[in-house]
Amino acid sequence: MSQTTDTITESKKRNSRLPPISLKMREVIAAYAFIAPFFLFFLIFVVRAVIVAVRMSFYEWHILRPSRPFIEFQNYLELINDDVWWVALQNTLIFTVITVIGTTVVGLLAAVALIRPVRGQGFFRVLLYMPSLLSVGALGLIWVWLLNNQFGVINYFLSFIGLGPYNWLGDPNLVLPALSLTTIWWGFGFPMLIFIAGLQGIPEQLYEAARIDGANARQIFFRITLPLLRPTILFVTVTGVISHFQVYGQPFIMTAGGPGRSSYTVIFYLYQVAWTSFRMGYGAAVAVVIAFIMAAMTTVQFFFFSERVEF
Amino acid sequence: MKATFADKFWTYAILLTLAVFVILPLSIAVSQSFMTNAEVNDWPPKLVPSSPNLDAFERVLTQQDMRLDLWLRNSLIAATGYTLAVLVLCAPAAYAFARLRFPGNNLLFGFLLITIMIPPQITLIPNYLLMRDLQWLDTMNALIFPGAANVFGVFLLRQFFMTIPSELEEAAVLDGAGYFQRFWYVILPLSTNAMVALSIFVFLGHYNDLFWPFIVTNSLETRTLPVGLAILNSAYAGQFRPTVLAGAVLSSIPILIVYIIFQRRITEGVMLTGGLAGR
Repeated sequence: MSQTTDTITESKKRNSRLPPISLKMREVIAAYAFIAPFFLFFLIFVVRAVIVAVRMSFYEWHILRPSRPFIEFQNYLELINDDVWWVALQNTLIFTVITVIGTTVVGLLAAVALIRPVRGQGFFRVLLYMPSLLSVGALGLIWVWLLNNQFGVINYFLSFIGLGPYNWLGDPNLVLPALSLTTIWWGFGFPMLIFIAGLQGIPEQLYEAARIDGANARQIFFRITLPLLRPTILFVTVTGVISHFQVYGQPFIMTAGGPGRSSYTVIFYLYQVAWTSFRMGYGAAVAVVIAFIMAAMTTVQFFFFSERVEF
Repeated sequence: MKATFADKFWTYAILLTLAVFVILPLSIAVSQSFMTNAEVNDWPPKLVPSSPNLDAFERVLTQQDMRLDLWLRNSLIAATGYTLAVLVLCAPAAYAFARLRFPGNNLLFGFLLITIMIPPQITLIPNYLLMRDLQWLDTMNALIFPGAANVFGVFLLRQFFMTIPSELEEAAVLDGAGYFQRFWYVILPLSTNAMVALSIFVFLGHYNDLFWPFIVTNSLETRTLPVGLAILNSAYAGQFRPTVLAGAVLSSIPILIVYIIFQRRITEGVMLTGGLAGR
């Protein structure tokens, strides 16, 4: 619509000088000039890279060896039988589920409280988003010490209620929840802000109507707020799964994948294969499989929630 | 909506609990960075230093193998350069997709949308090898350019440009403005909010990235802050815990100052970015 009026006004003005066909061409040329720089970079660093990665995954490609034989699906077959890979995948899924649930719940709770018209609202919003701004480096350094089994403050606080001491980062069963807790602390700010935006979009009349009908706070939350937040929850969980499935910094800094391989994650493993063992071909296969898993998860989640809500 | 007493009570209960959850780890880290090496290894752990001292800060700033100043500078330059590159590449492309008619408009944009599904990790190995072949390893170029064609940025800005009434552009057309002038003098000035939001988003994302800077840099002088902190932790965690914490505290101060100054813009930017992306 806008483009039509655009072109008409424009052709009226220039008709005297230029034939209409040239105007159309001008727009096309301008458009390609506008998108060209972006696509140049996109082709080099995304399209080319994806094609090269897929191609490399069919080769035995070691960074130090000049010969790089084509080995068909050998890398993928190796991956299927690679115990470390399966451990890493399982760890990543556990971590992702706990972290996404945690950040979503804490974020929603914070958002519900933050949209109440109470004193100090602005202060609390600023404060609660603060951890999200720390770099994963600072985050890891702070939390690895809090979670320390001998001198950590978390064990100290737990001792008041008679719990512990727990070897958070040294116990194979606790390390993933401990990393999740760290990440929930760090990452709940984003869902919180998205939920605030979502909650502000719910018309006040709906709440009033419900109150007039005698609904209590809990009914209002579960019957009105939550259903109407469905698209927001979809967005928060999809982006959450995508970002937390890529977890790397927390295990890298806080546990180095340990104890044993209890906190290996898929990206951590990708790093090990490609940049510690220098097996680029096998690494490419790992990356391709990670890409497929993430694309599949996004698609599934999308269909799960795709019912749109209209006010 | 008027808040009832119960409403207020629960609101404050939630907010105060979360505030403690957020503040406690930060304040303990700050507090322990003023302790001595021996003091942090006390049990029960001290929450406040008995005699606060600056030894840890002094050590972290003077140690030969720690260059917080350089790492911070590198992080800021790389993240700023990256953010500028994203804006320069994405804004014109987004304008073309939002406003101009050309063959392949929908096809190309649809193609870009599909590629959002492709996770960036798949590009790591080929792009690393490309950096090596271009001899860009250990340079700023490797930190700035590979991720600059940010599809999300095009998507976000296109969504925003489409909300700008086209009458405004028509007025410029009547004044004889070409496409670039319309983009530069009409669209961009009306889009500062979206541009700032996108900038904050990509800046922070880049500033906090660990994986890519870790693999494409390898000398002390070219590391970025997250990479440097990770190295600092592995080298000093055992004996010099306050030093490591001082590094974490010092490195967080600049970003927290920026946040406190621009907090409204930053939180609103995140909401706008998320809100647009969620559509």
